[in-house]
Amino acid sequence: MRVLLVEDEQRLAANIMAAFREVGLVVDHASDGNTGSHLADQGIYDVIVLDLMLPGKSGQRVLHDLRQRSIHSPVLILTALDGKESIIQLLNDGADDYLSKPFDLGELLARVKALIRRGKGASTSVLTMSDVVLDTVHQTVTRKGEAIELSPTEYRILEYLIHRPLAVVSKREMLEHLYDFSWEHHSNVIEVHISNLRRKLNVPGAEPLIETLRHRGYRLTSSDPA
Amino acid sequence: MISRSVSITRRLVVAVLILEILAALALIVAITLHERHIQLKAFDATLIGSAESLMGAVQDAEDEGDNVLLDLRGVHINNGSVYKVVDERGRVLGSAGEFAQLPPSISDSPGFHDVKISRRHYRFFVLHGLRIIDPGNSKGGVRHNISIVYGMRVGRVWHEVIEAIRFFAIATTLLLAVTAIFMVLSIRKSLSPIHELAHETDQIGDHNWHFIAPASAEETVELRPLARALEAALTRVQLSFGQQKRFTRDAAHELKTDVAIVKSSLQLLSMRKRTADEYSAGLALSLEDFTRLESTVEKLLNLARLEQSHDAGRLSAAQHSCSLKYAVEEAIQQSKPLAQLKMIEVTANIEGEASVSLEARDSLLLCSNILVNALQHSQEQGRVCVTVAALNESAVLTVQDWGEGISEEDRPHLFDPFYRGDVSRSRKSGGTGLGLSICKAICDRAGGTIEISNHPAGGAVVVVTLPLAI
Repeated sequence: MRVLLVEDEQRLAANIMAAFREVGLVVDHASDGNTGSHLADQGIYDVIVLDLMLPGKSGQRVLHDLRQRSIHSPVLILTALDGKESIIQLLNDGADDYLSKPFDLGELLARVKALIRRGKGASTSVLTMSDVVLDTVHQTVTRKGEAIELSPTEYRILEYLIHRPLAVVSKREMLEHLYDFSWEHHSNVIEVHISNLRRKLNVPGAEPLIETLRHRGYRLTSSDPA
Repeated sequence: MISRSVSITRRLVVAVLILEILAALALIVAITLHERHIQLKAFDATLIGSAESLMGAVQDAEDEGDNVLLDLRGVHINNGSVYKVVDERGRVLGSAGEFAQLPPSISDSPGFHDVKISRRHYRFFVLHGLRIIDPGNSKGGVRHNISIVYGMRVGRVWHEVIEAIRFFAIATTLLLAVTAIFMVLSIRKSLSPIHELAHETDQIGDHNWHFIAPASAEETVELRPLARALEAALTRVQLSFGQQKRFTRDAAHELKTDVAIVKSSLQLLSMRKRTADEYSAGLALSLEDFTRLESTVEKLLNLARLEQSHDAGRLSAAQHSCSLKYAVEEAIQQSKPLAQLKMIEVTANIEGEASVSLEARDSLLLCSNILVNALQHSQEQGRVCVTVAALNESAVLTVQDWGEGISEEDRPHLFDPFYRGDVSRSRKSGGTGLGLSICKAICDRAGGTIEISNHPAGGAVVVVTLPLAI
């Protein structure tokens, strides 16, 4: 999952980015409003964490412009300002959640994950796809009740696919959401990880889960009649 | 607490009515005198006329002795009149009223006489006339010297005067009543803009400092200064209230951000088990974050201390004195690491001790804030020049850098708390935006000035002027 953090305070941004990376999120950082706006315009972020008092362009403005251009990424506002009016205004303007500084890092992570989930249409932290169960809090995967050890990247790919069941997900889309920009040219890493995933998920008596569509991408298939 | 309430309406009405009553009284006195004069004249005329009618009524008696008699037919005698007609031989031809008490002497001298009879004032007219009867005879007629005394009570005159006064008094009373009613109504109407102004002023509250004087108050010449003064005063209050609010908000923002950094650093460290090296690196970072929080708090407290009770501060500042030379040297010493880091050459040119009325810590704070500011805005390998000179009873501190200078856009806000200028000078450059506000507060406290401008060689120059301590 790819998160955009727009925060001008360098130390705080560094801490938040480190925490996001610890839980397997890919983070891009902008330290002023204009850069934040440009990055967000790509529409590739699963969540945007936005500070309000930014140099260049205020957080309110960034949010407003974003929604104006029909970018629907969930937005969590980080604010050091009090006052319910401004929060109500922000939520009405298209923000999805807010957190007051000084916040709890754990709470920020939980809220960001919840926003990602909601953005994908899921309502709990445990995702299931036929006989695969994925716990997003503990980052564990089981198939037919059997625990499966996955690398962080393999876990992220599976989580992303489960969030979009039955949809065709291109390699490009996976790269956008799951990797830092510097890795973009290694497009064959996806193929390697997918093949590893297939191998690990292949428990006895189970149907193949990940289907390859030539030149289009990958799709999770459900063997359940439902 | 209202100790005594005063009504302008009542005062005005009472004042006008008292004046009117005084005017009416003066008028009544004048009218009384005038009326009395007129009535007395008329009275005297009546006396003369009546006496002359009586003279005319003296007729030939047609008897042997060529006597005269009084024929009162066709002669009008006023009621209550007292008269006596006597001929030269003392014969009383006719009389009316009490004559017993009349002094006999008065009939000898013609003219007017005022006499008191049975405690009543009478006025008499004595007429001596010659009456010739039978003028056709050889001797040219018989001559009779007739003496007429005619009098009336003077009270009649006063009756007329009092009638006139009564008429006038009633008219005046009516006039007073009409005036009072008219005045009350008209004053009420003219005071209504005050009520409207008061109502509008009453709307001002914690959440609504917006005030526009009602048009009625603006149009009233007497109220216009009050309305304008209210507007101006409220605008000032609103402005300073806004500044205060902004300061509190910005201070909270600053503190919360610094606390957020400290908190997130520690929480990040505790997210999972880490190696000893990771822990010690994390703790070092956390300590750094904490130092920053501490410095922000210290700056805020300094600013609060300097701005609190401004006048009291001036007094206490006047009691202190310290050497600006020492403060500058100390500030240069303290900022050496930053200067070395950016390889900036700091040159100082200090003349004399330059003793100023400041606490030592404040003068050091002032010098080091300006110096650090100059270092932060200098390019690497640049230079900063500090001079202290005495000029006209003042110490002048100049700090010049060769950095990017100040933009016209920033100039009005340079001393605003938390103002950080443009993007490039956001939090990452390290400042809280309080340094210059603190400098300004220190200069204000010492009765000095601080100015920032660009110098032609490119870069900013800060000039601080402080009165020399006596």
